[in-house]
Amino acid sequence: MKRQIPLALCFLFGVVMIFTQFSPHPVSKSIYERVISGALIIGPFALVLATITLIQTHINRIQRRTEHWGYSFVVFAGLITMVAIGVPFGPENPVFVWLYTNVQVPMDATMFSLLAFFIASAAYRAFRARSTEATLLLVTALIVMLGNVPVGDLIWNTILSWTGFENQASAARGWILDNPNLSARRGIILGVSLGVISQSIRIILGIERSYLGGGD
Amino acid sequence: MQLLGIWVAAFLTLCIYSFLYKDNPLYRFAEHLFVGISVGYGIVLSIHQGFLPLAWKPFWEAITFQDTSGFWVIIPIAFGLLFFARLSPRHTWLIRYPIAILIGYGSGIAIPNVLRANIFEQTRGTLEPFGKIARETVAANGNIIPPLTPFEIVGAILMVIGVVCTLTYFFFSVEHRGPIKGLSKVGIAFLMIGFGSAFGNTVMGRVALLIQRMDFLMFDWIASIGTIFSSIF
Amino acid sequence: MLTRIVNMDRRYVFILVALAVIIPMLFSVSLPVSISQPTQNLYDYIENLPAGSTIMLAFDYGPSSLAELNPMARAILIQCFRNDIKVIALTLYADGTTLASTLIKEVAEEAQAVDGEDYVFLGFRPGATQVILGMGTEIAGVFETDLSGKPLSEIPIMKNIVNYDQIDLLVDLASSATPDAWIIYANVQYGLKIGAGVTGVMISQMFPYLQTGQLVGLMSGILGAAEYENLVDVPDKGMQWINVESFVHLLIVLLVVIGNIAYLIQREREES
Repeated sequence: MKRQIPLALCFLFGVVMIFTQFSPHPVSKSIYERVISGALIIGPFALVLATITLIQTHINRIQRRTEHWGYSFVVFAGLITMVAIGVPFGPENPVFVWLYTNVQVPMDATMFSLLAFFIASAAYRAFRARSTEATLLLVTALIVMLGNVPVGDLIWNTILSWTGFENQASAARGWILDNPNLSARRGIILGVSLGVISQSIRIILGIERSYLGGGD
Repeated sequence: MQLLGIWVAAFLTLCIYSFLYKDNPLYRFAEHLFVGISVGYGIVLSIHQGFLPLAWKPFWEAITFQDTSGFWVIIPIAFGLLFFARLSPRHTWLIRYPIAILIGYGSGIAIPNVLRANIFEQTRGTLEPFGKIARETVAANGNIIPPLTPFEIVGAILMVIGVVCTLTYFFFSVEHRGPIKGLSKVGIAFLMIGFGSAFGNTVMGRVALLIQRMDFLMFDWIASIGTIFSSIF
Repeated sequence: MLTRIVNMDRRYVFILVALAVIIPMLFSVSLPVSISQPTQNLYDYIENLPAGSTIMLAFDYGPSSLAELNPMARAILIQCFRNDIKVIALTLYADGTTLASTLIKEVAEEAQAVDGEDYVFLGFRPGATQVILGMGTEIAGVFETDLSGKPLSEIPIMKNIVNYDQIDLLVDLASSATPDAWIIYANVQYGLKIGAGVTGVMISQMFPYLQTGQLVGLMSGILGAAEYENLVDVPDKGMQWINVESFVHLLIVLLVVIGNIAYLIQREREES
């Protein structure tokens, strides 16, 4: 009941979805469409659960007075404000849009822009040609960085114009992306895809059961 | 209202940048406000753009007999509700039902599509250039494509070597000794070039985000100071 | 001295990076951008669509990637409105809903495009794979209304649109793995043609799909945005920012070179 039925459901839905994709029969098509619509309906419930879990985490922080617990009130203030405006009035409400545009957007964008500083600092302090492989990585990164910006071609055309070739910084970047990078990425895609397929088969056949979690 | 928005956005932007000096209460305030606001936004969107149109509306139409053909939606809704069993320690196991359905469904959908998109197509892409070495081909838009140039032939050979060697590096079922070790070493070289190009591109992406914020501070926020002064004096 | 250079407080590096952005911004530098083939291919594909064609524009990104993807979205929308190509926009990313809605309205107003006739914004639905597959059967089965709640049956642009069969191209503006999902499910299952505009982080992993033709074209980060602005001949933020970007890249290259020279000298000394 606790493990067998979920395993049976997993097998049933897995097999049904494989076969319905190969059969053009109207019944098969109808089952396929129904299952997709059903999965669309189940999805939003998981989102609601995720939200409840986050709220519980912050309530726990406040109750246990963990470090910086006071900031959990800020989380609730933001959350309640958005929900109080957005749920009754909808996502197109001007106040809701104002809060999104002037509070969420700048903070989200700024938070990720911090990485520009850290990536520059990390490149300076840790990006070293310690081995052949590391040198290969470093040289490629430098070529791509210069090929990605117009100044790369400008430098080439100014210093290396005597070679008779123009805009070779961006051309080198293009070749790296389109050839050795493509091969490596394709190798990764093929490897990962084979992994996905074998894992999916193991899940459907009930060999892989970690998604059921612990307990009986 | 627009001016206020610019100032609020600028204040929060500077709060977050203050972290570059060191961790401080202003940064922590902005960080937690960001979490609250974005989760609140997510809840509103999930309700208005997910739960209401996909679950509630068909459910309501079914139970009020407006659309009895939609009665079947009660089944996925019932399974969806089982997610909340997670909140009761005694009934947590019930959450396995919707998870098992979604995982089984996802696996079943993935197998044929991943096989076609990522295995067959990528293998075709690796071998196809060799069919164009000696003769002209016709593109999908009707254009005649001339045979490959010597440079392109070298590229095609390099691509096969790269793909085979990268796959060999990830092939852990045999010990990496002798020729396998050699192939996997070449695979590492290709991977390093791949990761190097990814790093170069990532730098471009992250710097673009910084430029956008600086653009906002320098041209929207500072310009708004001018607007305020000109309206006062 | 060497140790001091290598172990310089990272805040000095932060200041240098900030200056490398601020100073070029004050002097609006404008260097020519050469167009890469993947961007050209996407532009040509849309340019060759006959007037009245329909493209789908997926805004699969949130505010954290707006710097790279908003300029691309703007340039593509301008091209579509100019060529009388209908745009059906949507997002698989909750955080992108208001961002996309605001941007589309802004560009439409500038181009005098009419909501419901030249474009429609369907909004967001959770569950990327299900949404992609669901629209393959019937778009109205997933999006019964547009974002403002208007039923699709009452929207003129949607009159003859049932599913992907009536869509000439999907352009995915993405900050995560959504192009893979569109390729795996919409392209393979329903034969939908796909183009993409992606953030810098994702550029490298898109190239295998370009070579096989699973992607008809690709805009690569802020560079792709600048190239596309160049192609549609409406230079804007993409062009401005790629020029500023030049200086920051030069600084980072310089920092890496200095760091490595110091490291090599240090290693030489230790060995001797």
